[in-house]
Amino acid sequence: MNQGRNRYSVCFVAMILILAFCFILGLGVGSADIKVSEIIKSLIAPGEVFFGKIIISIRLPRIIAAIILGGALSVSGFLLQIFFGNPIAGPYVLGISSGAKLFVAISMVFLVARGIYISSLVMVVAAFLGSLLSMAIVIVLAGKVKNMSLLVVCGVMIGYICSAVTEFVITFANDSNIVNLHNWSLGSFSGINWEHVLVSVVIVFVTIIFCFMLSKPIGAYQMGESYARNMGVNIKRLRVVLILLSSILSATVTAFAGPISFVGIAVPHIMRGIMKSAKPIIMIPACFLGGAIITLLCDCIARTAFAPTEVSISAVTSVFLAPVVIYILVARRVSSRG
Amino acid sequence: MDNKISLDGLDVGYNKSIGVVNDVSFDVAPGEIVALIGANGAGKSTVLKTITRQLQKLSGEIRICEMNESDMTEEDMSKAVSMVMTEHIHPELMTCFDVVATGRYPYTGRLGILSEDDIKAVDTAIEMVGATEVEKKDFMKVSDGQRQRIMLARAICQDTDIMILDEPTSFLDIQFKIDILSVIKRLAKESKKAVIMSIHELEFVPAIADKVIGVAEGKVFKVGTPSEILTGENLEAMYHMASGTGKVMADGLWQYAAALEKLLWQK
Repeated sequence: MNQGRNRYSVCFVAMILILAFCFILGLGVGSADIKVSEIIKSLIAPGEVFFGKIIISIRLPRIIAAIILGGALSVSGFLLQIFFGNPIAGPYVLGISSGAKLFVAISMVFLVARGIYISSLVMVVAAFLGSLLSMAIVIVLAGKVKNMSLLVVCGVMIGYICSAVTEFVITFANDSNIVNLHNWSLGSFSGINWEHVLVSVVIVFVTIIFCFMLSKPIGAYQMGESYARNMGVNIKRLRVVLILLSSILSATVTAFAGPISFVGIAVPHIMRGIMKSAKPIIMIPACFLGGAIITLLCDCIARTAFAPTEVSISAVTSVFLAPVVIYILVARRVSSRG
Repeated sequence: MDNKISLDGLDVGYNKSIGVVNDVSFDVAPGEIVALIGANGAGKSTVLKTITRQLQKLSGEIRICEMNESDMTEEDMSKAVSMVMTEHIHPELMTCFDVVATGRYPYTGRLGILSEDDIKAVDTAIEMVGATEVEKKDFMKVSDGQRQRIMLARAICQDTDIMILDEPTSFLDIQFKIDILSVIKRLAKESKKAVIMSIHELEFVPAIADKVIGVAEGKVFKVGTPSEILTGENLEAMYHMASGTGKVMADGLWQYAAALEKLLWQK
């Protein structure tokens, strides 16, 4: 017991330190290289440093967004894996992010074309509705195909359909207002401003705290439906809540940063490996921290690898995390045979 | 006598048009073990799943600890009825201790953190089923027999007056069967728990059960003591055996049962 507790504390402290390091790193790297001493100065008194404006109005919101949204995405994936009782679920592979993307693109293009300003909150709501629609389709399919791998294939197909329609919408509505939409639709933190950060911090923190408070019934649900019911869990209500929470999280991410691939599916798996536990009370904070670190690092790479040109965040996360997903698929196949 | 659980005219099944078993009525007193026997597919599990709310009852009444089951919340039920089902669970990265500890769920706080008392209850339950040596091992990596012990320990530390056990001895070797059944017997006799279990091994029934419910042809075929139910004639009817074979079976069964009874009580 004690050994487990020590392990958790060490891992959490280590992850917080790594996150702090990445935070400084993220502020420093980019098209303009900035020294650590100048970063600290500009955080204290931005007016007095040459790079102050870059740090405060461009890099800082972007980095905070990567932390908050990366964490949100991983927790969303963790909840989906609980819901489907399977580690190969995630908002991206199940087409849920793409559904959100489609709804955001449609509402942006049509409302902006009519000269209506769209607030961040409206974008989140549109993304949430899109997530729920994709989720509904996936749940109906899950009822029909019992095989999880097949369900993932269906999810990827839903993702392709949504992405294709999004592409049509964006192409036909080629307006200077939505010039950033193309970058966003591939996944990017480049368009993030302070308003976005503020809205996502509020939504994500409230949702994550709610998830954390639910770790007891979620843990019971991991024992299978019948035993969870016998423990006094209201299964129907829990299932609905799981879907809503994971949709809110992945919708917030998609609304501001577009679809980010594989973070939601791979990070919970990596965290289970590090923590040697699947308990939600450990996994929810661990996934949040792990997702934040990985997304922040990937964003740094996206900004700097081919600077001054940026690559999409999904390109980077795919390169690093898709192999993890392949590993999960193969490892499961082997263990289910044995 | 106050019964822990009473079924009255209970119809159970997967949907309204075809009830699997109709008009099930019996009572279980504290300390009493009731064995549900019958052919595969007779509906034993369906009855048990209905009592534990895995299935909705079609009609009739279930009374649990003097309360109407329909008026009880999920939480009330979790403190009154524990269960071991036949379906396998696949908990990830959980030790046997962790699995048993899930039985304390109804008693832990908002975040489900175990108190000293909870840990003591878990340890006692693990000791009772004799699984102390696997306590720290991964649940997915121990044998079927050990897993079944762990699931029983889980139900024990849920600390309920009623225990529902669906084929708790299936797929186990003879020694594991004897071990599990002696634990169940001790629970009923010493802790006054009311136990309803389904069982295929008829030879164990005389040693373990106070009352036997034979389920056949979509209804309760007969209720009685083991010696009243386990007769050649009844076996032939319940298990669709050729006439004359039941007597041979029953004779052998009773001889084996006598041997097992000795072993079960030695514990």
